[in-house]
Amino acid sequence: MPEENPPLRPLIPGITAQFPQDVTVLPRRKDMLAVLKVTPARVAEVAKYLRDVGSFEHCALVSGVDWVDHLEVLYHLWSDSLKGYIELTVDLPSEDPHVPSVTEIWRGANWHERETWDMLGVRFDGHPDLRRVLMPEGYQFHPLRKSFELHEPEELEVKARHV
Amino acid sequence: MTHGLWNLRIKVDGELIVDADPEIGYLHRGIEKICEYRRYNEVVTLMDRTCYVAGIAWEQLYIMAAEGALGLSPPARAEYIRVLSQELQRLSSHIMWYAAYVQDIGLMTPFLYGMRDRDLILDLFQSYTGARMTYEFMRVGGVRNDVPVGFTDRCRKVMDWLDQRIPEYEKVCDNSTIFLDRTKGIGILKAKECLNDGITGPMLRAAGVARDIRRDRPYSVYPELDFDIALYDEPDCYGRYRVRMEEMKQSVRIVRQVLDWLDRNPGPVLAEKVPRFVGTPSPPPGKETYVERRGYPKGRGFSSMEEPHGEAMAYIINEGAEHPYRAKLRSPVFVNIAASKDYLVGYRVSDIPAIMGSVDVCVGESDR
Amino acid sequence: MSDSETSGTSKIITHVREADAPEPEVPFAEIEIVQSKEFIPVVKENLTGMIQRGMEAAVKPVFNWAGRNSLFPLHWGLACCAIEFAAGFGARWDGERFGVVPRSSPRQCDLLIVNGTVTWKLSHKLITLWEQMPEPKWAIAMGNCATGGGPFRTAYSVVPGVDKLVPIDVYIAGCPPRPEAMLDGILRLERLIRERRG
Repeated sequence: MPEENPPLRPLIPGITAQFPQDVTVLPRRKDMLAVLKVTPARVAEVAKYLRDVGSFEHCALVSGVDWVDHLEVLYHLWSDSLKGYIELTVDLPSEDPHVPSVTEIWRGANWHERETWDMLGVRFDGHPDLRRVLMPEGYQFHPLRKSFELHEPEELEVKARHV
Repeated sequence: MTHGLWNLRIKVDGELIVDADPEIGYLHRGIEKICEYRRYNEVVTLMDRTCYVAGIAWEQLYIMAAEGALGLSPPARAEYIRVLSQELQRLSSHIMWYAAYVQDIGLMTPFLYGMRDRDLILDLFQSYTGARMTYEFMRVGGVRNDVPVGFTDRCRKVMDWLDQRIPEYEKVCDNSTIFLDRTKGIGILKAKECLNDGITGPMLRAAGVARDIRRDRPYSVYPELDFDIALYDEPDCYGRYRVRMEEMKQSVRIVRQVLDWLDRNPGPVLAEKVPRFVGTPSPPPGKETYVERRGYPKGRGFSSMEEPHGEAMAYIINEGAEHPYRAKLRSPVFVNIAASKDYLVGYRVSDIPAIMGSVDVCVGESDR
Repeated sequence: MSDSETSGTSKIITHVREADAPEPEVPFAEIEIVQSKEFIPVVKENLTGMIQRGMEAAVKPVFNWAGRNSLFPLHWGLACCAIEFAAGFGARWDGERFGVVPRSSPRQCDLLIVNGTVTWKLSHKLITLWEQMPEPKWAIAMGNCATGGGPFRTAYSVVPGVDKLVPIDVYIAGCPPRPEAMLDGILRLERLIRERRG
């Protein structure tokens, strides 16, 4: 068990008791209250628990990282009473990644999830309107995947551009 | 004028807005992707252009995350110069907002007032960074150079001038029936909905929620400085205007304290032990990228700060290479635009410039 | 602004020159003071008469002179350069003294200043605006992004140089260019118009 964080003392044992199979407490970094690893299937329930019981009422960021062999989706939640962020990480397969949407819980997560779909190709199940947000509709690629490389414009074929 | 190019599709019933669907991405420049091809100090160039009215705020945001990822810390004087830059930038950003917004509403004088006084602040920036808008001033482990001789006195003069000007800005607006009619009771978004929508910054504080990252999760040297959080209890366009005006006064107050500190405490502004690969020029893209530097710790850096528009975050993953493995930026404007349906529905088409202007949209930041 | 009439609080004072009052002297110019109310109809009649007689070649220089000294740029903002563009029309630089007045509709404009990064998503809109502008028209690429992609040259979404979309007459370097540089670019364009069109 990593070292404990005083403000989160009632919450962390509570959440591990509630979701024993699905939540792992990772070593804490100094800029986070806690880092929790969650299995993809239960993300929405853990998020709801954190909002209702843990008073994390502000979903600051939903983002993702491409680790080539797998994808990681990150949630950063802010609590006004604890004055700090908590980080949830979810590991997903590279091919056809799916994760439940948290837009029902925080409306503010809506565009963050759309952006993560746009940039990394993560499907958020139950999202009301999962369209691309930054790139135009009909664009073929997910640019923040590591397999997508940047080139000087001269050596670029037209196919990577959407005109 | 700072609004940039974005698209708002609305459904109307006569003059009333019944649905709104904002569309952004017209200025998406792939900054997060280019970061993965640049060395740590080279990314600073991109951060200026991410938000062009608050460039130095984004520089510090990125630098704080990169320092967290690399495990470095800057000297105290560098921290004070950073906070000075932050608050000057907040002043210039809010003045720019004032100039553009009140012109949109129908008064011409504020544009001329605002652009003139903003140039005084940009002149200060120019005297110690060399540029008006895109500074490239912060470095991993400090700042590029110290402030020049005589800077603090010049800066104090500008602050004295702004002390007179800010009440005058308020007088122009508060005595104008046009301004009051077009902002009071328009674009209301209550605190509970603000929280659910993830809205931050002056919009949230106008709704009476006292969340300011400078106070709640202090970074840099903000804990050592005295300032108040600007709050207002009317979550409409007028409230947002009041909050920004009050924030400008608080920024002037912070700048004065920092200047006093800088006068008393000379010292270095760049940490001594900055790894060499952080700053050396990068090979052309596609060639020998991701060279593993053995023995250098891997890590993740996270920073959040109160940027003029709201809560901005950066998340940097350092995999021991010369480049960030992943750089993620959270823009407050991105979220504030996303919620525009919630504060537009029920108002009239002619209210749209007033409402969207009060959000202080900076498209460079929301599209990245 | 016209809105000031409806404000209710401010009193409007307008100066109306009386018809018989003496014309105020212009001390710094030793030119013949022409009464505009007489001058304009005469010029108009002469010019229309020349066009009717098939003398466009003689009229053209007059139109070119008028056109190049009152360039109306499209008032839009793309990115960082747009802020410097706005500063150029603020109190300090006052671009309007060169007869350059930003207009909000492309139908009223004859100058397109591309002040920022153009993405492929935006390219349709840019071309539409360019095609909506009446001839004769000119374009200025302001800043490094519009000139050649700038720092975002390698990005997947950025047009590496707006001259791939519209014909550019003047390129202004800088990231972003200072307002002086922007005004200098406009003056260079005026010189270019004189050289090209007489």
